[in-house]
Amino acid sequence: MKKVTGLVSISMMLVLSLFLAACGNGGSEDEGSGDSNKVTAWAWNINVPVLEKAAEKFKEENPDFELEVVEMGTDDVYSKLTTGLQAGGKGLPDIVLVEDDRVQGYMSAFPDAFVNVSDKGFDEMKDSFPSYKTELVSKDGAMYGFPFDGGPTGVFYRTDIFEEAGVNAEDIKTWDDYIEAGKTIKEKTDKAMIGLDLNGDDGLYRMMLNQQGTFYFDDEKNVALTSEESKKAMKVQQTLNEEGLVKETVGWDAWISAMTSGDVATAPSGAWLYGSITQQGKDTSGNWGLIELPAFEEGGNRASNLGGSNYMIPSASNNADLAYDFMEFFSTNKDVQLSAMEGGLFPSLNTIYDNEAFTKEVEFFSNQPIWSLLADEMDSIPAVNYTGDYAVAKDEAVKAQSEIANGKGIEEALKASEDRLKNRIQ
Amino acid sequence: MNRAKRFPYLFAAPAILLFLAFTVYPIIASFVLSFQERVGGEYVFAGLKNYTRLWNDDIFWTAMQNTFIIFVVQVPVMIILAMVLANVLNNQLLKLKGFFRVSFFLPAVTSLVAYSILFSIMLQEEGIINTALSYIGITAIPWLSDPFWAKASIIIAMTWRWTGYNMVIFLAALQNIPEDLYEAASLDGANKFKQFFYITVPQLKPVILFAGILSTIGTLQLFDEPFNLTGGGPADSTMTLGLYIYQSGFEYFDFGYASAIAYAVVVMVGILSIIQFKIAGDE
Amino acid sequence: MAKNLEVIEQSTNKLTLAERQQKKPKKKKNKLKAVWMYTLLSIFLVVSIFPFYWMFIGATNDSSKMFTNPPTLLPGDQFMTNLTNLNESIGIFRVLFNSLFVSGLYVVIALAVCASAAYVLAKYNFKGKKFIFTAFLLSMMIPYQATLIPLFQMMSDFNLLNTYFAVIAPQLCFPFAIFLLRQNFLAFPTELMESARLDGASETRIFISIVIPSMRPALAAASIFLFMTQWNNFMWPLVVLNTNDMYTFPVALSSLMGLSYIDYGQVMMGVTLATVPIIAFFLTLQKQFISGMLGSALK
Repeated sequence: MKKVTGLVSISMMLVLSLFLAACGNGGSEDEGSGDSNKVTAWAWNINVPVLEKAAEKFKEENPDFELEVVEMGTDDVYSKLTTGLQAGGKGLPDIVLVEDDRVQGYMSAFPDAFVNVSDKGFDEMKDSFPSYKTELVSKDGAMYGFPFDGGPTGVFYRTDIFEEAGVNAEDIKTWDDYIEAGKTIKEKTDKAMIGLDLNGDDGLYRMMLNQQGTFYFDDEKNVALTSEESKKAMKVQQTLNEEGLVKETVGWDAWISAMTSGDVATAPSGAWLYGSITQQGKDTSGNWGLIELPAFEEGGNRASNLGGSNYMIPSASNNADLAYDFMEFFSTNKDVQLSAMEGGLFPSLNTIYDNEAFTKEVEFFSNQPIWSLLADEMDSIPAVNYTGDYAVAKDEAVKAQSEIANGKGIEEALKASEDRLKNRIQ
Repeated sequence: MNRAKRFPYLFAAPAILLFLAFTVYPIIASFVLSFQERVGGEYVFAGLKNYTRLWNDDIFWTAMQNTFIIFVVQVPVMIILAMVLANVLNNQLLKLKGFFRVSFFLPAVTSLVAYSILFSIMLQEEGIINTALSYIGITAIPWLSDPFWAKASIIIAMTWRWTGYNMVIFLAALQNIPEDLYEAASLDGANKFKQFFYITVPQLKPVILFAGILSTIGTLQLFDEPFNLTGGGPADSTMTLGLYIYQSGFEYFDFGYASAIAYAVVVMVGILSIIQFKIAGDE
Repeated sequence: MAKNLEVIEQSTNKLTLAERQQKKPKKKKNKLKAVWMYTLLSIFLVVSIFPFYWMFIGATNDSSKMFTNPPTLLPGDQFMTNLTNLNESIGIFRVLFNSLFVSGLYVVIALAVCASAAYVLAKYNFKGKKFIFTAFLLSMMIPYQATLIPLFQMMSDFNLLNTYFAVIAPQLCFPFAIFLLRQNFLAFPTELMESARLDGASETRIFISIVIPSMRPALAAASIFLFMTQWNNFMWPLVVLNTNDMYTFPVALSSLMGLSYIDYGQVMMGVTLATVPIIAFFLTLQKQFISGMLGSALK
């Protein structure tokens, strides 16, 4: 019995100390963000070393500078950022990493929430980045973020499977060629050409839209799901599916797994896939190749983008000036940007593309110089309009894609999705 | 006397204060939010707009329908399974009881990260489950890409996760049933089956009700499984209310609308719980 | 139930010869029943345990072995590598401390808060009792996504972001635990309280020295639920914690989930480590919990 009384009093003391600790801690936290030499950043795993490397170099000129990187999962960054913005700019960092397809959503839902970096002088560096990246972070002519990595696309393919089927990847120039190659591979090796998550993600469709210079929305921000380009892109997917060249891979893990275990022959994707397959498919080194995305007609554009990210400074930051100085350094320092490549990130800073890191042969890719192939694309990637309604539009596009895969007509499915989308964003 | 009168309030005070601060206040705040919409980054009063929009929102009704289907199938299956397991584990002839008990409880404590990775891999078309099924002559099932099977997958995953948890609740209650009830029944010639239905079930009624309400709340707020396994697809066939609330708020940045959906859920859970109480016939 | 069987068999000795002859087939039936029982249990056992086994396999293999076809089903030799890497990524001891501290503290305080409220709700009559209890129960129905933002705003207004307090405070009054405990307190014989009162014990004393000790199983049950809730709590700690050194297990593990790069060896190692304490907690308390709600002993 005494024990229980003891327990109760101990717990009461704990509560009390907790309250005190809470206050103490809260106070110091507040001081932390007000500290004029310290900058906090939110980013996910492979980006952390790059930030740290930059901080180290930045310190050479600014010895008092301190950077605290809070490492978190990609989705977690958004959960926390959205919560903080929604609560009126509470608990936010000085620097946050945001993917390309999320940037405009945040800028439009929270118009004054990010620092205008053009005002602070970043326009001078504009030419060091491809226009599709700078346009992405711009609103009314001003930039609200620092372009970081890009996702120039290509078709990653398994050289061993192509060899077995006797197909030369370099001969694939158009999507029709791609489908033909797929048929041969299917026939000779019984392997699928591509892994797609037809009910869950529309990465291929988006790449094909971007490649044709359009997106879910046209340049005037009108819904464009029923555009000719959109229909063409869906047609390619439909044909792939009907010819039995698609392996259904639901979710990221399954998709990566299909590639590294050699169940599919190709993966059209962004440059960052390099990091994933070199890690998950260590045993497959030397069995990979890369070609540009096939064009829709002979000689057509083969450059597109999938993924990539940018750094932004929340307006709520107490230390926006220092954060800006650091990010300007980060974005334009060649060594920093080159170090990003170690994690498989593709820097969008175009002044470094002549560096040896880009021209070298990559062992994992049978000594193909894949980085220069991707770098050459950067200037040809069309800028497209993501708009603030990207997330809803994507939801509807995936539905259309899913319905088409289940037998509905392209025209009909896209029209239905377009109508629903218009309704949802009215 | 006075002290004795004050006593209950004193003892309930910490709970009530915490409840007011951390439950009632946020509930009111989000209720207010459900009557607002975002215009140019600011929330302004919008009257019943969110609720009328909800009424006309196909996705909301689809989510509602899906949630209902999952609820009607999953909750009874899980509760029956949990009761059967609890009964078997309550058998004193059984050896290794503790081992079984802990093992069955394990799924409820699995980290969601491991759980979602594992299930999404196992449910692939060439995954381990279809491989196993092929040995007994069943052709590959499109677990995650067919509207019907996607729902089934969600139900299976939920059942896997929560059956052991409910079983533990039942097990505790089973041991509470006076043994003489069974003795009397078997002397009267009632077989095991009859005993189960005429003694076990009625005796467990409060606990069944308890587990039922918990599962009702869990199902109506269902989020983890569709979020991690299907993302609500294919074509909204596994969209649930919990997932739709999340998407509306965190992906489409419309927290006013998200709050409105949440309150629709509250009303429904309330109604369902009352029905369950009524069916069970006591309080 | 089997105990009943034994009782029945004993009592058959006193019964007629005809009834006695039923004994033999019954034995056989028992054996059959046992086979059936063990088969059923084994199936469920495999289904329940496989993911844990797989977790362990993942923890001892390289990330690239995770999705091979056919699947890797044997432990590898990367245990130490994964452990070291994980420790470098998230700092295992710090995270373990945070999680244990947060969950332990939470269980102690929440149990005190919930048990005292449940007790008066069960055993006393006072104005507003029904209203309070109903309000508690109704609040369980609010989806947490809806109250996340106001709660966050409140914490930041009070300057409580990134504190342990902010992590545990919102759920200290846990309606489910109150409900569970109240149901158990209801069964406590009021006469015992009355006689203690006659002996001159104060109300607080009655609660602490007489009621609580006999409620151990119920408290154990509530602790299990509370501990589980806090140990696996993800969204809320993620939102209120702002530095890596405050992270709890689920948040820290989630920080491994990057966009294109996930080291599954590390993730599985982390997941395995995160599961051990909760199993230990369950093992410690389950005897208390299962050994009967004790209510029957008091009847």
